[in-house]
Amino acid sequence: MKIVREALAGTLESSDLMVRIAPHPDLEIVLQSEVMRQFGAQIEAVARDTLDKLGVTAALVVIEDKGALDCVIRARLQTVVQRAAEEWTAEWSALS
Amino acid sequence: MSVPMTNELLSCTVDPAADPAARAEIKALLEACDLSYEPSIEAFVTLSRGRSLIACAGLDKNIVKCAAIAPAEQGESLSLTLMTEIAHLAHARGHNHLFLYTRPDNVDRFRACGFHRLVEVPGIAAFMENTPIGMRGYCAQLRTLRQPGRDIGAIVMNANPFTFGHRHLVEYAVAHCDWLHLFVVAEDSSFIAYRDRLAMIKAGVSDLPRLTLHPGSEYMVSRATFSSYFFKEKNAAADCFTAVDLLLFRNYIAPALGITRRFVGTEPFCITTRKYNADMKDWLQRPDSPHPPVEVVEIPRRTQDEVPISASEVRRLLAAEQFGRIGRLVPPFTLALLRGKYRPGRTPSQIPDPPTRADAVSPRKGPEPYENS
Repeated sequence: MKIVREALAGTLESSDLMVRIAPHPDLEIVLQSEVMRQFGAQIEAVARDTLDKLGVTAALVVIEDKGALDCVIRARLQTVVQRAAEEWTAEWSALS
Repeated sequence: MSVPMTNELLSCTVDPAADPAARAEIKALLEACDLSYEPSIEAFVTLSRGRSLIACAGLDKNIVKCAAIAPAEQGESLSLTLMTEIAHLAHARGHNHLFLYTRPDNVDRFRACGFHRLVEVPGIAAFMENTPIGMRGYCAQLRTLRQPGRDIGAIVMNANPFTFGHRHLVEYAVAHCDWLHLFVVAEDSSFIAYRDRLAMIKAGVSDLPRLTLHPGSEYMVSRATFSSYFFKEKNAAADCFTAVDLLLFRNYIAPALGITRRFVGTEPFCITTRKYNADMKDWLQRPDSPHPPVEVVEIPRRTQDEVPISASEVRRLLAAEQFGRIGRLVPPFTLALLRGKYRPGRTPSQIPDPPTRADAVSPRKGPEPYENS
């Protein structure tokens, strides 16, 4: 899925995350988290997997995580991609 | 219609120009938090509980100002809610890259909201941005443009418009360093549009060797770095005014390019520029910094008929359509551009650009330097 504009989703509240996405030549994920040391690698893996399933191969993704569960991370990423994509081409049933 | 429960948190967007009652409430809250109201703010986010306003934050384009939480409400996580709202409001208004000024003791609070400290004027103000890769990315781009040499010079130039005085400064600088990095102020708030100032400078220095012409950035003499964010202590505000811009230059931009000298012309007319030059000698050279000093070289203005050449004088002559006298102060390219696009009574936007002017570089796309070798 092609990212054509900047978008924002989520909040900074506890157990949530705020995610920004922007057009970029390649895929770059910048992660900040309150629980970086315990779960940083896991959060990034979930983010990459979600973007991969959405077919996003080029974007700058900046995540400000406040200890969100995996399902919340997926939901916020799906939303931000939906807002930034030229056209939604993913199958919802294939995303979970 | 339902009446909100008294303890329910309510978030609103306020246009301060259109809502005097809300504006008065905001002013009172800011007063209680020892902050001044900023008339330049275009939109506020407010948080209320019941009938009382308990937090607010304003947007002046992409600069967050007047962020305040009522003293009795501090300690809760209201700042996260407030900054979430401001981020979404800013995004809706087309601003994703945000800056903010705050007192140094509030830095941790904003850090929790995704802001990153760039510089701090000790005891007075910290300057932050809402991305971990803003300044870092800009410096990474600059590092690819480093040039070998011992004395690396820099000039930050507005050129509103480009005169023989600017030319003289660049010639002097090129002769007194191994390589010169010439930055054009990108902010489009001058009489002459950015793309025209860039074109004039490009034409005006095209024959000079050992020089890189950089498009400006938000990190240099911009609305963000020269914010008129005034704290209550007015003297401190005046310091803060130039210190943030100069500390960004010393701590990030100069090290990225290995800049050792910054060249400026003496300023006989404009008080603001004179103060900027004076502050430059202090902030770029003071010894109590972990960052290497940048030597400030101030050279006398070139004169014409015993009067220092200044861009403001050229603008004055332009208003009077005295093109003959302007021609003695500016290079031919500048003169032609002023004649073609900036005659009195015409605004630049009314005149379509000739196709040859398509070479102007967008300030947001990062450096696409033009190198004279």
